[in-house]
Amino acid sequence: MAEGVPPMDEKAKRTRDLLASFYSPDASAALGVGGGAGVSPRRIASPDSINSPFFDPEVYMSILVQKLNMEGLLQKHVEMAAEIKNLDTDLQMLVYENYNKFINATETIKRMKNNIVGMETNMEQLLVKITSVQSKSDLVNTSLFEKREHIEKLHRTRNLLRKVQLIYDLPTRLAKCIKVEAYADAVRYFIGAKPIFEAYGDSSFQDCKRASEEAIDLVIKNLQAKIYLDSEPIEARAEAVVLLKQLNFPVGLLHGLPIYTCFSPLVDNLKTKLLEKLEDYLLKFQDEYKDTGVSACNATESSDIGQLPDTVSVGDISKIIRAYLIIFPDSEKRLIELVQKLFNRRYGIIQQRIKERMTPADLLNMMRAIWEDVNVMDEILAEAALPAFSLEAARSIVQQYISTSFSYLLDEITDALGKSQQTQKEVVEECPYQNTLEASKKTIIQGSLDLLLDFRQLLDDNLELLAKLTDLIVDWVQEGFQGFFEKLNEQFLVLCGRGYIANPDSCQVDAVQMDKVQAGLVLVLAQLSVFIEQSAIPTITEEIAASFSGGGTRAYEHGPPFVPGEICRIFHSAGERFLLLYINMRTQKISVLLKKRFITPNWMKHKEPREVHMFVDLLLQELEAVGMEVKQILPQGLVRRHRHSDSLGSTTSSRSNPTREDKLTRTNTQRARSQFLESHLAKLFEQKMEIFTKVQHTQESVLSTIIKFCLKSLQEFVRLQTFNRSGFQQIHLDAEYLKNTLKEFVDDEAAIDFLLKEVVGAAHERCLDPIPLEAPILDRLISIKLSKSKEQSQTSP
Amino acid sequence: MRGPSTGIVYGGLKYQARCITDVKADVDHTSFLAGTLSLKEENEVHLIRLSPSGSELICDGLFYHPNEIWDLKSCPFDPRIFSTVFTSGETYGASVWKIPELYGQSNAPQPEQLVSLDEHSFKIKSVLWWPSGKHDRLISIDEGNIFLWSLDSSNKVAKVSSSKDFLLSSGLTEVISQESVGMLQNLSGGAWDPHDRNALAGICDSSLQFWDLRTMKKTTSIEQAHIRDVDYNPKKQHFLVTAEDVSGIQLWDLRRPKFPVKELPGHAHWTWAVRHNPEYEDLILSAGTDSTINLWSIRLPGNEGSSSESLFDSPTTLKDSLINSYTDYEDSVYGLAWSTREPLIFASLSYDGRVIVESVKSFIKRK
Repeated sequence: MAEGVPPMDEKAKRTRDLLASFYSPDASAALGVGGGAGVSPRRIASPDSINSPFFDPEVYMSILVQKLNMEGLLQKHVEMAAEIKNLDTDLQMLVYENYNKFINATETIKRMKNNIVGMETNMEQLLVKITSVQSKSDLVNTSLFEKREHIEKLHRTRNLLRKVQLIYDLPTRLAKCIKVEAYADAVRYFIGAKPIFEAYGDSSFQDCKRASEEAIDLVIKNLQAKIYLDSEPIEARAEAVVLLKQLNFPVGLLHGLPIYTCFSPLVDNLKTKLLEKLEDYLLKFQDEYKDTGVSACNATESSDIGQLPDTVSVGDISKIIRAYLIIFPDSEKRLIELVQKLFNRRYGIIQQRIKERMTPADLLNMMRAIWEDVNVMDEILAEAALPAFSLEAARSIVQQYISTSFSYLLDEITDALGKSQQTQKEVVEECPYQNTLEASKKTIIQGSLDLLLDFRQLLDDNLELLAKLTDLIVDWVQEGFQGFFEKLNEQFLVLCGRGYIANPDSCQVDAVQMDKVQAGLVLVLAQLSVFIEQSAIPTITEEIAASFSGGGTRAYEHGPPFVPGEICRIFHSAGERFLLLYINMRTQKISVLLKKRFITPNWMKHKEPREVHMFVDLLLQELEAVGMEVKQILPQGLVRRHRHSDSLGSTTSSRSNPTREDKLTRTNTQRARSQFLESHLAKLFEQKMEIFTKVQHTQESVLSTIIKFCLKSLQEFVRLQTFNRSGFQQIHLDAEYLKNTLKEFVDDEAAIDFLLKEVVGAAHERCLDPIPLEAPILDRLISIKLSKSKEQSQTSP
Repeated sequence: MRGPSTGIVYGGLKYQARCITDVKADVDHTSFLAGTLSLKEENEVHLIRLSPSGSELICDGLFYHPNEIWDLKSCPFDPRIFSTVFTSGETYGASVWKIPELYGQSNAPQPEQLVSLDEHSFKIKSVLWWPSGKHDRLISIDEGNIFLWSLDSSNKVAKVSSSKDFLLSSGLTEVISQESVGMLQNLSGGAWDPHDRNALAGICDSSLQFWDLRTMKKTTSIEQAHIRDVDYNPKKQHFLVTAEDVSGIQLWDLRRPKFPVKELPGHAHWTWAVRHNPEYEDLILSAGTDSTINLWSIRLPGNEGSSSESLFDSPTTLKDSLINSYTDYEDSVYGLAWSTREPLIFASLSYDGRVIVESVKSFIKRK
């Protein structure tokens, strides 16, 4: 019963698909869709599928007959009959629907046709009515034409009469104006009447014309007088000139050239005079500024530099400029130049002042004062684009301010570090390096925070000029810090002599002197670097994040300008480098000591050891000096013990175990065996001592590194010599003594024991006759030395 | 930075040893000479050959040497000639030896002593052959003097095995005495300029001094204390590298002797030896008393213009130039030699007498 009874929805879908295929032009496509959705592909292909386009009823029937029994066939029959019936009703319904629609459409068309037939007659009626309206309106128009024309004529006459009246009144009006000195009105009236005088002046209005010209002459005279009168305000004079200019052309025409000729030099005169005055003002202005600038430096009473001196005010200048502009509108360019020059100078003064150190409040005051002036000027001379100009200037000023602030901080820190060298020479302080370190730490953190505070002030100020620069300032500050720390790092390098490239000659000369001072200083630098990395940078980063976030108006391609991670990395490596440098400097000194010790004597003719050799004392002295320095500067390292896990050494030792074993097997295969090899093997079985672990910024780590270094050097020096028996015994004695004394310095006894053993071992190997000192002698000699040194240490302090 | 231990170990040296040298003139094999340093036992010189497969080190000859060997150099034009500097108690000496023909047996008791350089009155430090090829001079350095020996001009050393052909005419050497305070100068070694057979660098206590062998006068010097080793750049004239006790490795341009062109951090303890690769000029190998060998990549200034820039290179950027650190040693490494035949292979010798041959091929990226 593979066919079974298909579920109802599937059946309905099939029916719909079939119908769709009937109507659709592309039957196969429709079928495909239906088949894909409902039936599995296998059944499409099979011949017993009713829905297939290749359905063959004969085959289907035969398959059915073969497949099904009687009952099945009957059921199939019923099923199929029902299906066919369904299809029939569906078909019928569709046909009905279509028929209905068709009838509706026919009716609509018929209605439309009827309506259009009625419309045509209406239109014709409308046309007739409109033509009758038009003829009537023409009639009205012609009948009124004459009257309208008459009215217009009357109106014109009236206008004419009014004008004539005006001209007749002109002389009296002018006289009135002269009386109240309203020259501007007078000139306006006269210019208004001028065309009429030109047209009819010789005939009907002769008297009038003469009278008004006389009045205008009076006006001109008065105006001229006014121009020459210095007591008049500049604006009034300017106005007079303008009025004269307006009269200029016609007056000149009427009277030959008398006024014009006297007028043009007058104008030029005025122009130059005004310009001179303006420039004079500007000059004075600058001088005053310089004076105040200088005096402020001397007296450090700088609060009022921001204000303008009383003698010259921007108000004055602006007045002059305004007048000037009115008179000579074409000379704007010159003025703009002048004004820009003025402000340029003023910004220049600020920039000079920045080079000395100034507080942000001063800067703000000065900027504000100038900004106010700029605003005043801008009202008059908008074309000068002063705000934009000032923005540019303010930009460079703020940038300069920030960078100079940083360079001052840098100098301060350098001073703090440099001071130690001097004070140490002059006064023997108890712990000079500690003081230096503390002072420098304080300078760095305090200085940076102060700077941030200062810049914060710049940001918080509501000066419009700076508000526009906020983002840039944020960027600059961040950039500033980045650059500052990079420079600080370089400065450190220079201080410790690594920067000898910068000034080669001087360092070479007094390199010997510097050695002494520097060792400690280098250690201070190392510690300072760690301090910067671990506390200064986080603090500053926090501070920046709090108040200088945002910014980034500049291209993001470089990322944010201040990258604390990078700085930390720089100082981290710097700290390590300085520490190594310190160790190098110290060990170098000791190396020289050791070298002298081993190269000078003839070890083959060494005499029997009588006491511990001198060099041990020197070595211990050096180590003590190191210990002193280290104690001042570096922290104790107990806390950091756990860090040993990341040191280089432990990884090496953990790694070396397996390789050692396979080395062993390899070694075993070699045929040659000797005592040496056996002792070598014995050494391999001992735990390999890792000597060169990573140095940490602690007293113990540094000290023990130096000691290990020295002992290793000792071993190497021993290996280069050949000893007789006494020489070997001497070395042995020295090593034994060192074993006791070095323990006071370091707690890493195992390493020291190991290294000293190596030293003795090396001496043993390099000795022709290696017989060690007898134990009691050894002990006695050591105890003598010990008690001696104890006495010394008791007597010396 | 630590590479896998790919080295091939040769454990045949029974005693402590300091010197290993590449047998430059041997064109058929990659071979090295190593000499032992034993105070009490009989010392040996081993001729070590890298098997053709490159996986094994074979002892190709074992020669007894009467005294402990402090310096060993192979003749650059005859694979069977080498020089040693040796001490025995208070006595010291330097000789040129010839490896005898091996008739089947691998252990020849003793090499032929061709000549003994016995004009020295101070402790001899090293013997130098001119590295770039055949030259009839030989240099020996002791603490106070530099001796220039001339080989017999008619020698046909490479072909004839008669020892008489290879004579250093005694006394015909020019002897350069230092100032009367020779001891203070304390020469401790040197290098012969491969580009100029008249230039020699000598290591003193406080400086590296350069000598002109024609006039026997000091030409210039690099004021740098504690130099342990010096090596000329075989490809680029005027450049050399020095190794110091404390300050690591420094590269110099002899035309600007005041300041190093570059500095490398060197080793955790002293840097004992430093060698340029004979073929790849930017590869430098250094051996240190911290039981490691470091492989460095350096970039020398190509021309005058850029060299001034790199003069101001901050030393901080140079840490990256460490390519690899070989830490597979149990004791200080004193001996170091690149193979001339296979320039990417080097041999190292640590104080405990182990020779390790390593290949640096994996670090070279060919373009």
